[in-house]
Amino acid sequence: MSLDQTDVLQQMLQAQNYIAEPEITTALYLAQTLNKPLLVEGPAGVGKTEIAKVMAQALDTDLIRLQCYEGLDANAALYEWNYQRQLLHIKLAEGGDKSVEDKERDIFSDAFLLKRPLLQAITHPKAPVLLIDELDRADEEFESFLLEILSEWQITIPEMGPVKAVHPPHVVLTSNRTRELSDAVRRRCFYLWIDYPDFDKEQAIVQQKVPGIDEALAQQICRFMELARQQKLEKVPGVAETLDWARALVALHQRHLDPALIEATLGIVFKDWADITQVKESLADFLERLGIRPRLAPPVPDEQ
Amino acid sequence: MNSDHQRPDLALHGTLSTNLIGFCRLLRTQGAGLGPGEELDALHALEQLGVDNRDRFRAALRTTLAKNPREQALFDQYFEHYWQVWDRASELNKPVPQEKTSQSANAPKQTGTTPLDIRDWLKRDETPEEDREAAGYSPFAVVTKRDFADFDATDLDEVSRLIAALSKALATRFNRRYQPAKQGARIDLRRSMRWGLKYGGDLIDLAFRRRRRQKLNLVLLCDVSKSMDLYSRFLIQFVYGFQRAYRRLETFAFSTALHRITPVLRQRDLTQVLRRLPHAMPEWSGGTRIGETLREFTEQHGHLVDRRTVVLIVSDGWDTGEVDLLTEQMRQLQRRARCLVWLNPLMGNDTYEPTCRGMQAALPFIDIFAPAHNVDSLRQLVGRLGSLRNRVWTRAPKAAAPATSAQTAAQPSPTQPAAAPQPTRDRQYWRQRFDNASGRLT
Repeated sequence: MSLDQTDVLQQMLQAQNYIAEPEITTALYLAQTLNKPLLVEGPAGVGKTEIAKVMAQALDTDLIRLQCYEGLDANAALYEWNYQRQLLHIKLAEGGDKSVEDKERDIFSDAFLLKRPLLQAITHPKAPVLLIDELDRADEEFESFLLEILSEWQITIPEMGPVKAVHPPHVVLTSNRTRELSDAVRRRCFYLWIDYPDFDKEQAIVQQKVPGIDEALAQQICRFMELARQQKLEKVPGVAETLDWARALVALHQRHLDPALIEATLGIVFKDWADITQVKESLADFLERLGIRPRLAPPVPDEQ
Repeated sequence: MNSDHQRPDLALHGTLSTNLIGFCRLLRTQGAGLGPGEELDALHALEQLGVDNRDRFRAALRTTLAKNPREQALFDQYFEHYWQVWDRASELNKPVPQEKTSQSANAPKQTGTTPLDIRDWLKRDETPEEDREAAGYSPFAVVTKRDFADFDATDLDEVSRLIAALSKALATRFNRRYQPAKQGARIDLRRSMRWGLKYGGDLIDLAFRRRRRQKLNLVLLCDVSKSMDLYSRFLIQFVYGFQRAYRRLETFAFSTALHRITPVLRQRDLTQVLRRLPHAMPEWSGGTRIGETLREFTEQHGHLVDRRTVVLIVSDGWDTGEVDLLTEQMRQLQRRARCLVWLNPLMGNDTYEPTCRGMQAALPFIDIFAPAHNVDSLRQLVGRLGSLRNRVWTRAPKAAAPATSAQTAAQPSPTQPAAAPQPTRDRQYWRQRFDNASGRLT
């Protein structure tokens, strides 16, 4: 019967328009039932962040997101006091006969607390999905701080005392591997590597996400992407680019690819000047392998 | 590949949990860093999912046991071998011939051929003549007095001092994080508020904060091919000390293939390191193919290099690989890294000119080209890297640089790469380039 549960999860994911292989569902299922953080790695643009969103919808709970960046520190992740408001409050209460202790209790109360994502997640009434996005961008100090939170689910606010999570959140961490995460973090998590989708999966994604797209066009697009990813590129296009491109082509009322169209829209797919030039150079070869011919100008050299 | 040491029916013996532990051990002997925590997780996972669906079984073990791409590759490599009795899944719970787990635990580690074991090379301590012989391999006689070739233990102190200085010099960038400070440009509202409370909320004493310094990341690529033998011993010592002093260092050794040796170097004592190095780096003292090595590096570990990373290559530039590839890889590496440093021990020799093919191809992309043959040269390097600290490090645009012979060698038309023009510059010229105050090639 437990087997059925991953199937149920798979169906739920599908209902959210998320195409997932058994590997992904299994990892999600285990992370959720055994209450372990799930570390998701893979190249940019393969839908790592999406996993958390979909998981939140599937579990019918809130998604709380902590976007990491260089210099992110405990204050920005946990809580901050609302200083301006505290100052005002003190000024307003000035004439009164309250003791310093009372004043202090007033201004260090819930009303003056700005909850940042981690505290939000801890105090949330229903176990939310906590997405810690691009952890590799934060620095190592933050990583160790995070470890502490992840193991205790309790934080101490000096002015208020300890706050403990009622329902520990489901945690999804993502990383683009711009640096190696510490072993300690890895060891604490379940691990999932998501790679670029293969042709079939990508086509399914495109057809699912871009309603009204011609099946033939979807196929052509995905074949093209498959070829493109085999090139040595600076920025390999992800699924996000595929979808952008598909949507653009649908918006242009195109039913199939042709050379001029591809050239005109390359900027949607490739985000690096060197990549665009490289693809332009090998475009003829691409088209040949895709079996695409120019629409207006028929192939020339037959004349002689 | 390593199937010879695998008993095909390994998983047949014993209960599922012992089998699982056996599998974990096997992965551990192959270098996966998993512990009892992972084994427990895997068991819990199987409890949840059962064992009657092969794909799910595999996925469950994979997500709980293999925690990075390398370990996943290991997992994929050994999973089939180990669990190949799948068809007879019911038999997985059978008992128990004794030798089983020890068998898998003692599964011989693949060692490959070891052309020169590092231990041999330590033994050679006693016979310096042989060292001289090895030196004969390189076309330049090494004459500098205190070359690392005859590196002395009394220098160790000096080296550790240097390492400390180097680590400090690398603490360069200002972070976006803050730390409390006596004074500074930014007011720390949080602490000021607390202090202010005692005056009824008036901020009388201000607390300040300042930006924290941030350290550079370092990637070290060490050539340990035959022609570098003379220097390798010192290098290992240096790198070992460095690795312990500076956490943001990743070290790779290469000869014909590339190996990440950071974990080995993190061992607590040097003898351990020396014992393990041969396993981590089987092709010690082989040939050199720098281009291929660099490509392997960018493909597998490229994510380590960003604008906060200084890449140091330690090599004499004697290369038997493709020059084109080397050029291209150097170009890429330079573009991604903050600064690309090439340390060439041969530069210690007065008559040295970077004329060999590999060096020629690499030169245009090197930001700092420096010798690394003795303590003095390292000290200079420290100073040079230190000078990166307080300014924004930008490279002179390549186009604006004067077209040196090396430059022309750098943009060969793809058709005639081998005909790199012979440099006409004399020794004086190279000295100047390398001595110029900014330490940057112009």
